[in-house]
Amino acid sequence: MKILLANLVLVGTILQLPLAAAVIGKRLWRTFPVFATYSLWNLAGTVVLYTSPRLGLSRNLYFYTYWVLEGVGVLLGFGVVYEVFRELLGPYAALRRIAAGAFRWVLAGLVLLAFVVAYARPSGLPPLMAAVEIPEEAARVVEVGLLAFLFAFSRAFGLHWRQSIFGIALGLGAFTSVDLAVVAMHTHIGQAAYLGLSLARVIAFNASLLIWMGYILAPERVTSTAELPQRAQLEQWNKAMMELIHQ
Amino acid sequence: MIVIAFALAAVGVFWTVARNRSKQSHNQVRPVDVQALRTLLDRDDELFLRENLPNRRFRHLKRHRIRVTVRYVGRVADNAAVIMRLGETARFNPDPEVARAAAQVLDLAAQIRLQCLLAFAKLAAEFAVPSLQLTPATLAPRYQALRETVLRLGALEMQNVAPASVAI
Repeated sequence: MKILLANLVLVGTILQLPLAAAVIGKRLWRTFPVFATYSLWNLAGTVVLYTSPRLGLSRNLYFYTYWVLEGVGVLLGFGVVYEVFRELLGPYAALRRIAAGAFRWVLAGLVLLAFVVAYARPSGLPPLMAAVEIPEEAARVVEVGLLAFLFAFSRAFGLHWRQSIFGIALGLGAFTSVDLAVVAMHTHIGQAAYLGLSLARVIAFNASLLIWMGYILAPERVTSTAELPQRAQLEQWNKAMMELIHQ
Repeated sequence: MIVIAFALAAVGVFWTVARNRSKQSHNQVRPVDVQALRTLLDRDDELFLRENLPNRRFRHLKRHRIRVTVRYVGRVADNAAVIMRLGETARFNPDPEVARAAAQVLDLAAQIRLQCLLAFAKLAAEFAVPSLQLTPATLAPRYQALRETVLRLGALEMQNVAPASVAI
């Protein structure tokens, strides 16, 4: 299992190269600057962590390097969520205010939940592990919750996701939700399932890399112009709905 | 355990939206008989039924009417979603008039979608308690603003309207 894990980590490292090439080739920093930074940061982080044991870094230095890389990665992840929010609701001025209000309430609720989760964690974890896992779990709760809110909101309002932004959100959602489950399970199961959980995390990360690449490289779907009603018809529906609500 | 359930629920939401998105690409606008919808919503009819039917029969009939109404509202909501998707393309039209008209149509479609959600909530409450006749008074100011938007749209010149509806 250790060999499989090592191979999957290597596959993930290699997969990040074409993703970085796609980000640069498609000039993604113009439309999604935070996501472009996030993906390049992940690549740089993987390279640093992969090479540091071979450079003979001390355990403490490795820990701080990991913590900084992970911390900045999580912050950039929040930036990507905001970028998704901005892009998704950009065309809908009518919904932006409602969405922004709901987003703030959901964020407040999730931050509260994150504090509860961090507080309720069993004590007795090794200090180094606790220093990594507690903030990570709390941050992931907020990140996953905000992404799930955006998906649920778009479903309720029938919002259209453009290809690239959908891929970015889906890839991030897939990875962060599995990562959250893994961190939470690690606390309860302990070291016994460490390898299995690490395997799940690496598979989720590799899957998200493939999702990002697939959606970034795939051409945008062209929408059909057929069967569109006239504006008068729209207004008629609008009037009927207003009557229903007002009666 | 709560965190694990939370993460799994999030995966469920992502999966549902991803599946729905692949279905959406084949959607088309379906006709809505607004007159029939208005007949279904007529409160005078409801009053007449309430006065002339036994309570149990009235409840049964009202629930049946609500079920049919929900299907109509659902169709309007689906159509609004299709228009939002199609209108997004026209928003980037090089002709500023077309782009502006498309933005207005997008806005209106989004408002219709919001109204549909409120209508669903109202119908659900009336389905649970058939004697209820809800009037969400707190919504009035918001919908007054919506009426003004519709009036502004109606005042748009035809040359602005035509290219927009052709483009999207």
